[in-house]
Amino acid sequence: MIRFKTSSETDATTEALLASGRADPAIALFFDSVLEMRRAADPTAAVLAGGLLERAAPAVMREDALARAFAAIDAGEKSQARRGRTAGSELELIKVPAALQEAIQRAELARGWRSVAPGIRQLPLDMGGAVSAEILRIAPGAMTPRHTHKGREATLCLVGGFSDGRGSYGPGEVSLADPDVTHQPRGDDDGVCFVLAVTDAGLKFQGALGAIQKLFGA
Amino acid sequence: MRSDGTGPKGSPPKGSGDARPAGDSLSAAERERFSDLLVAVASSKDRDAYSELFAYYAPRVKSYLMRLGADAGLAEEIAQDVMVTLWRKADMFDRKQASVSTWIFRIARNRRIDVFRRTKRPALDPEETMILPQAMEAPEARVEAQETETRVRAAMKDLPPEQLEMLKLAFYEGLSHREIADRLDVPLGTVKSRIRLAFLKMKGRLGDE
Repeated sequence: MIRFKTSSETDATTEALLASGRADPAIALFFDSVLEMRRAADPTAAVLAGGLLERAAPAVMREDALARAFAAIDAGEKSQARRGRTAGSELELIKVPAALQEAIQRAELARGWRSVAPGIRQLPLDMGGAVSAEILRIAPGAMTPRHTHKGREATLCLVGGFSDGRGSYGPGEVSLADPDVTHQPRGDDDGVCFVLAVTDAGLKFQGALGAIQKLFGA
Repeated sequence: MRSDGTGPKGSPPKGSGDARPAGDSLSAAERERFSDLLVAVASSKDRDAYSELFAYYAPRVKSYLMRLGADAGLAEEIAQDVMVTLWRKADMFDRKQASVSTWIFRIARNRRIDVFRRTKRPALDPEETMILPQAMEAPEARVEAQETETRVRAAMKDLPPEQLEMLKLAFYEGLSHREIADRLDVPLGTVKSRIRLAFLKMKGRLGDE
């Protein structure tokens, strides 16, 4: 049997926690999303892809391709294909981990997005378990509404950034909130923020959100 | 896979690209040379150096974009744009942190959105979050980039072909685990665990007990 060397992803405690947490589909989705984002952030993935690029069978470029490149360089023209703000917020979710992408597509077909506060749009994910999950789209500077239910909440930043009373969070980072802490994330000013939020709404799910707390909490 | 390194039509590319069979990754010496070239572009706007980089990378970036689903025209356009970006941002290249291939791949990666915007393929992408702030890096000690580049290429040769294929589908083409499972007709759980296993091998962190 192959045993993995210790890492934040693979030691025995982690495996046990992951196993317990996975009982709820919303928690499983949360874990998978964080792990996928952290793995993709690993430089090894880019190095691997660079090596695969080297192995690619070269396509044939136009005869004048190089000349055209120099012409563009000389003209100093702005890139036509620059990644930028798109009209539809949905395209920014291309950055979202694959595990989440499917849940989002399903939810968009089912309930869809709705406005819940100024600058805040919500997409409930309906994972089917007792823990609820939603995507929030937070416009720059907008603040999420105060939650009326008691319960613990874990928020994963997917795109952009937000701040709350405890700190600032960028993609892949997790904020955890207890019911007695006021938790009102505010989107950063420099762009739209998407988050995945799961909450146990006051029900006793020590295993589920406790596992998230142990693995990702500060 | 071509044994003489030339493309199917048209003039063969200038520079070192035409001497190499398509399908081999670069040696350490060749990677160093390309880093020299990019540094020359950055420091003295060396057009000859740039032409060599263009000859090697533009066709491969185009090939990559076509693999993502772009037709030849769109792929050419975006590859062109990636190479112009290479010129413009050359001074940001840090040879201690990455090879030119890794760097160009990241630029090309970020153009995927333009492929998806103009094709119908739904985007499922675990790698888009690649360029992330420091906080996201794994806590282990940073290794020399060159060591990583060499190790990963060696691991690519040693990995069983089906594992490398899975890594390629996940990290190069950006398919979701489910898409990979469907394409290879393999259970989803198997895809996840094989990718994790192969990825850990890439990182050189698999225990040997």
